Amino acid sequence: MSNTRLPKLTFWRTIVAVIFLAGAYAAYARFALGFQASTNLVDSQPWGLWVGLGTLCGVGISAGGFAIAAAVYLLGFERYRPVVRAAVLLSFLGYLTVIVGMMYELGLPWRIWHPIVMWNRRSVLFEVSWCVMLYTTVLSLEFSPSLVEKIPWVRLRELYLKWHHHLLIALVLTGAILSSLHQSFLGGLYLLAKGKVDPLWYSSFLPTLFYLSAVPAGLAATIMAVYLCNRSLHARVDPRVLSEMSQIIAPMLYVYALLRGIDLVTHGGAAYLFRWREESLLFWFEIAMFVIVPVFLLSQSKVRNNPNALYGTCALVVMGFMANRLNVSITAFQASSGFYYVPKWTEFALTLATVTAAGVAFHYAVIYLEILPRGVPPKNWMTTHPATA
Amino acid sequence: MPKTKAILIDITKCIGCLSCEAACKQLRGFSQDPEPKLSPTAFTVVEEHGDRYVRRMCMNCQDPACASACLVGALKKTDLGPVTYDASKCIGCRYCLVACPFNVPRYQWSKLAPFVTKCDMCYARQAQGQPPACVEACPVQASIVGWRDEILEEAQRRILSDAKYVKHIYGSEEVGGTSVFYISDIPFEKLGFTKVEAQPMPVLTANALGDIPTVVMVGGGLLAGLYWITNRRKLVALAEAEEASAQSGSGKDPHHV
Repeated sequence: MSNTRLPKLTFWRTIVAVIFLAGAYAAYARFALGFQASTNLVDSQPWGLWVGLGTLCGVGISAGGFAIAAAVYLLGFERYRPVVRAAVLLSFLGYLTVIVGMMYELGLPWRIWHPIVMWNRRSVLFEVSWCVMLYTTVLSLEFSPSLVEKIPWVRLRELYLKWHHHLLIALVLTGAILSSLHQSFLGGLYLLAKGKVDPLWYSSFLPTLFYLSAVPAGLAATIMAVYLCNRSLHARVDPRVLSEMSQIIAPMLYVYALLRGIDLVTHGGAAYLFRWREESLLFWFEIAMFVIVPVFLLSQSKVRNNPNALYGTCALVVMGFMANRLNVSITAFQASSGFYYVPKWTEFALTLATVTAAGVAFHYAVIYLEILPRGVPPKNWMTTHPATA
Repeated sequence: MPKTKAILIDITKCIGCLSCEAACKQLRGFSQDPEPKLSPTAFTVVEEHGDRYVRRMCMNCQDPACASACLVGALKKTDLGPVTYDASKCIGCRYCLVACPFNVPRYQWSKLAPFVTKCDMCYARQAQGQPPACVEACPVQASIVGWRDEILEEAQRRILSDAKYVKHIYGSEEVGGTSVFYISDIPFEKLGFTKVEAQPMPVLTANALGDIPTVVMVGGGLLAGLYWITNRRKLVALAEAEEASAQSGSGKDPHHV
């Protein structure tokens, strides 16, 4: 009897368990043995995978929450309302992974609160830390009704939701501004590294470029999440909503590519475009994945209207975005640092485990909370359960 | 800025005896083994470039990139000139390592509670009127210390009075000026010196940070305005629908919704 109560050992559960085990060992290595045992970081490459992937990609891919919340609540794009909660949850969990990531990325994580009381207004990182703190608070408040509406006490619940309703617009507006600031300031961090960052990535427009690339990546990630919920969690979001959302991505990528191109020509980075070296190859790899191929695919209505193809295209956008952030934070420093940084497996394991934990949390939130319109497992899809969204 | 201290390192005079390294290590309580590069236990090292010796140390910039980068203000340009590090504030983000144009700060990667390490021109000693340990230990006065303007004058006098010197004082204008100067008879780029711009590094981020109020005001205003418009449209549509339903009685006229 007791055997039947154990969770079933499925393929994905096994994968998740392996990732968590590896992550647990990596966490042990980081905290009990230190940076030297758990990372390949050196003085000339002091920021590695945990910053490049954990922080830069984590924050960037979480840009969907503010963009969709602003579109729905401020700009009146009512048709995106079915996905707004999923977008906010995705961002909230994304920022939590970034904060958890800080706990192993920082050398002295127990002092993570220092920026609250020790100020340096000249530091871009100071502004980023405040924006991330404030915006994570905003996200938790934006997300809170999903939890509060499960509270069994009616009076308390109604009171909270009433106040929340009054504050929502202010929250969304604050969130949009905070996001715009720190999404761009993450790029601003690298302004100080002039002379160290390869000319293919250094630009005085780094803040703008970071902002312009984070929004399409965030939207693409939201589309992917909703698609997966539709596919395996019986969520019922009209695929046309996702298709419409994807139509905003291509123009954003155009604008991004245009600014990037102009900047490369005017700043002299263009001279490095066709040199035979690893940096230039990785640059083209990034541009192809993030801009060229997705812009072409998204221009095809066949792709936009086929959920599977759309998912694949969005995955390309997200991966291309990640290539960009990793290029800025790692590839671009290789020549100047004279050190070929390859992350240790424990660096991958810890970041992967953190992101997986967020994925698991998202999964159960969609199942147990009202995140997306859902139905019971369909037997006769169209006839007995007309789509709710 | 008040009068600040500076060090002049005359590469033509250095004999490579490593007394400076030893004095520094002794003062800091580090092991005496010589090290080839700056490290958490070597705040100054003498590098060999051909038959010349170049002593490396923190440049203690006039407007330091590290101090502008440090989010908690652990790194600070003191009024006396040295750039100091307050370990009790540091959170270990290592942005200073990313920011430093001279790649000076070192991190204690092997420690469980790692800190940033770098030379602070013996701030504690200088505050009491004593010279930095390395300068005091130099038997041939290849390093001298003094008020920055006087040290700069001395450097100027030396490179003008002797034809062998390169006609540039490294540190006089690099990244807006530093507190450590080098003069040499061999071009600096052949001695491993980094080519940096004359503009202080923090200028690079100051512009972006200056945009914050604009983003908040313009972005906030724009979004609030757009919200006002969409909200008003919604209210108008609602009122029209109500009016229509009141007139027709059934409220089913689709043209007004």
